[in-house]
Amino acid sequence: MMNASLGFSTEMAIPRIELRNLSRRLPSGDRILTILDGVNLALPAGEFTAVLGPSGSGKSTLLALMAGLDRPSAGEVLIDGVPIHGMSEDQLALLRRHKIGFVFQTFQLLANLTARENVLLPLELVRVADAGARADELLASVGLEDRGHHYPSQLSGGEQQRVALARAFATRPPILLADEPTGNLDGTTGRRVLEILLDLRRRYGTTLVLVTHDPGVASLADRLIHLRDGRIERQESPVIVSVH
Amino acid sequence: MSFAGYLRTMLRECRGAAGRLGFFVACLAVGVAAVVAVAGLSSSLDSGLRAEARQLLAADLVVEGSQPLPPGTDLLRSIDLPGVRRTDVKEMVTVVSAPGVAGWPGRPGASQLVELKAIDGEYPFYGKLELLPRSPLADLLRADTAVVAPELLSRLGLKVGDPLLIGGQTFRIAGKVLSEPDRISISLTLGPRVFLNGAGLGRTTLVARGSRVNNKTLIKLPDGASPPEVTAAAGRLRRSLPHPSFYRVETYREGQPALRTNFQRIGTFLGLVALLSLFVGGIGVAQSVRAWLASRMDAIAILKCLGMRPREILALYLGQTALLGLAGSLAGMAVGAAVQTLLPYLFPDLIPAELIRVRQPTALLRGLGLGLGVAILFSLPPLAGVLRVPAARVLRRDAEPLPGHRPIVAGTLAALAAGILVMAALQSGSWLRGAQFTGGVVGVTLALTLAALAVVWGVRRLPRGFGGFSNMAIRHGLAALARPGAATMGAIVALGLGVLVVLAMSLVERRLSQELTSELPVGAPSAFLVDIQPDQWPGVERLLRQAGASRVESVPVVMARLTAIDGRGVERMAGRMPRGGRRWALTREQRLTYMAKLPEDNVIVAGKLWSDPRKAEVSLEQEFANDLGVGLGSTLTFDVQGVPIDLTVTSLRTVNWQTFGINFFLVVEPGVLESAPQQRLAVAHLPRGGEQRVQDLLAARYPNVTLLKIREILEKIVHVLRRIGLGVRFLGGFTVLAGIAILAGAVSAGAGRRGLEVALLKTLGVTRRGVMATFAVEYALIGLVAGVIGAAGGAVLSWAVVTRGFTLRWEPQTLPLLAAVAGSILLTVIAGIGASFRALERRPIEVLRSP
Repeated sequence: MMNASLGFSTEMAIPRIELRNLSRRLPSGDRILTILDGVNLALPAGEFTAVLGPSGSGKSTLLALMAGLDRPSAGEVLIDGVPIHGMSEDQLALLRRHKIGFVFQTFQLLANLTARENVLLPLELVRVADAGARADELLASVGLEDRGHHYPSQLSGGEQQRVALARAFATRPPILLADEPTGNLDGTTGRRVLEILLDLRRRYGTTLVLVTHDPGVASLADRLIHLRDGRIERQESPVIVSVH
Repeated sequence: MSFAGYLRTMLRECRGAAGRLGFFVACLAVGVAAVVAVAGLSSSLDSGLRAEARQLLAADLVVEGSQPLPPGTDLLRSIDLPGVRRTDVKEMVTVVSAPGVAGWPGRPGASQLVELKAIDGEYPFYGKLELLPRSPLADLLRADTAVVAPELLSRLGLKVGDPLLIGGQTFRIAGKVLSEPDRISISLTLGPRVFLNGAGLGRTTLVARGSRVNNKTLIKLPDGASPPEVTAAAGRLRRSLPHPSFYRVETYREGQPALRTNFQRIGTFLGLVALLSLFVGGIGVAQSVRAWLASRMDAIAILKCLGMRPREILALYLGQTALLGLAGSLAGMAVGAAVQTLLPYLFPDLIPAELIRVRQPTALLRGLGLGLGVAILFSLPPLAGVLRVPAARVLRRDAEPLPGHRPIVAGTLAALAAGILVMAALQSGSWLRGAQFTGGVVGVTLALTLAALAVVWGVRRLPRGFGGFSNMAIRHGLAALARPGAATMGAIVALGLGVLVVLAMSLVERRLSQELTSELPVGAPSAFLVDIQPDQWPGVERLLRQAGASRVESVPVVMARLTAIDGRGVERMAGRMPRGGRRWALTREQRLTYMAKLPEDNVIVAGKLWSDPRKAEVSLEQEFANDLGVGLGSTLTFDVQGVPIDLTVTSLRTVNWQTFGINFFLVVEPGVLESAPQQRLAVAHLPRGGEQRVQDLLAARYPNVTLLKIREILEKIVHVLRRIGLGVRFLGGFTVLAGIAILAGAVSAGAGRRGLEVALLKTLGVTRRGVMATFAVEYALIGLVAGVIGAAGGAVLSWAVVTRGFTLRWEPQTLPLLAAVAGSILLTVIAGIGASFRALERRPIEVLRSP
């Protein structure tokens, strides 16, 4: 927690993630579909933001734009004050490699890699010297130290998502984007996964943006963003002072 | 990412790909096998010829010419090495016969065209001459004995010990010759072998009467003569010859240049056919890669999401492709080496097994290089698609692909085209031929693709229930053919190409055999008679007429040598030229004839016949004049058996050679050559089946006259053509095989969709057999389209070859076309059903339950 609050105070001036007048429109048949419409947002380093909203409100697109997976139709995305919309695919890949971790509703593990290899991959990409040891340590931290040699298809949903968490935190990225990480899991399993997620975030002081339908999950966030029809309906900070 | 990390990731990414990428390996292996087999065979023949060169020459050095060496030429002294030995050999084609029934001049013995070889001295210096009885040849041959091939005995109904008539003399058959070192089993021969010795030949009238003789002197250097000594001896020998350009000096070190050139030519041609099957395999590779990447879209999106750069992902899959290319090439190399080893035993008529050297590392390397090249080049266009996979797929499956980079697409296509050109040039040994081949392949592939697209377009526009196709299987099959993005397009094109190659070759071959063996052109002679003495002609002519011959024609022939053109010595001109074409035209022994009026199939194209009363005139065939480099007004000086004669070119003409009439490059005006030593050449049309009797009669009465049966010679040529055609069709089979592998790959790439389809059909109550019938119809349609397109292409190609290349009349042949289409359908159905077998076996619930 100390790390997190330190990060918060020192990097206050430059938001970790900043969205300026961000819009995304898609052609759909003859019409243009507006998915996001002039979103402005500044997320300080170390903060946990939950994004809520009904299906089709633009939550996932928001995440995709923050990570440079998708390109905005208008507006800007800045990561640590640096605009990313003009970056090449290569530059975006490097940005993700070093700064952004992901967790998805559908886990998105590589099916032909074992659990351990899935965790190893980002470590190998940034050429960590003791990648193997780090991967084992991470698997242990999500309680899967003895499942490393299993393939995703041999793991339960909750186990797969824990592997995904270990992979997402492997390189200790300053930003973690999570798209309904518990959406495909039953209640108990989902809670366990969420606990681990938040625990890791706390440990590494990660800026977390989490898309969810679950008000219970949302109640743990530093900031709540309600999206509707591509616009921010309202923002709130329910537990800004609460420190767990 | 570190290189080791890259390698690890690449290997991990191969997991679970075995089934799918197996087709990649199979497609490539088939093509590589064809390339390796051809390259291996051709280089093993080449090294076999080199290794056996001494045996094939039967000597260290051979001096060869159509005239005997002038008396006083001391070859051995010119070589100037102690212990050199020589053997003189005369070779000629003549007719021999069994003695007739005594006192019955109308009942001559059977006769046979033979290749006669008269040996004066030790033979052979190298290699083995197998004789029965097993005595040295010199012991069997006396002035009145002959040793002959067993084939001659059976043809004439003779046995060892019987008399045989050769050149007007009787010889006793002293033995049989089973094999000769300098006669290769597969070479074209005009007749069985007969051996005489010099004294024996001297008894006959054959040489004295000026028959066409090939004079050879075999020379053996002392044992242990080093290769440079052999070459140096050849050089000294050449310098000592009175007319170096009249003779050919060959050493064993050159290793049968003429034979090797011929094998190389055939090897190059077959090498290109093999390359075609490799390129077809390349289409399969491209398709496998495309299907594989389509199934890896999610993984690629995740990798991008984890921060792998697009170029790193491209390198990952390119590396994987190279690895698979290596696997496919190695498999192909193994198969190719096996084929190369087995072929001489499978086709003993085609490849002389005695010359095969199995280990051919360069052929294997060539296969590896071309295999890897094809794998990588053909994968580039689909691999470039990796760059377009959107990372956003991790969040939305339907995320639109990233915009394509034009320069990258153009770059991969350019690399592919350039690569094909380089490989074709490598295989054909020439940039020009490589470019022609590339152009042809690209053109034919485009044409086939367009045709396939047109068929699919047409099928898509058929009204539903077209032609009362109430049958579900047919409706379903048609719909499957027209399904957008069906991966079957590549299979249709590849299979079509295979059908095209095999069919075109067999059509051309059939047409040629038909042309060569069918009734000869109306009015064409069926027999040539050579070496007739002028005083024999009235008798020979009478004999022919009595035997029912029609259209008998005869002309005088005077042998001469061109010594100068416009006063410039031919020998000096030829000395600087490479062997072949022009040099041959200048230095060969020329046949001159004389006549007042040209035959009908000659057309004067320049000048005027016999138009200058002040000069001795000659009329030249136009192309021959080009070869000589002369035109109207040039003066040609000939040495007519010792007498120099100047002739002025006053007309040029074209000749229609196809009439098989008697035609000459050089025709001299009457009044110039009448008193020169000469023979007559005659042609005649003999009643079918009457040739043998005429030959028998001639052999008995005019033994120096040789009758050549045109039909028989054409049949021998057809036999050789068939051997080459067999090789081409065998290799074309590899192309078909590659097409089948592609089809199976395409079918199994769609296995997921296929499985769902089967499940749905079964759920709706269609029986397994019903589903199978539906699939069979679909594949039969693919086979039909590929077969029809390929057959049409094959017909067009063979039409072009037959009418343009061989200038023959085109004759449609329905049966091979139908057979090609039927074969294509059958193969496609078998391959298609085979590849869908797993889908057919699955229970519906397994499929419907899975997401």
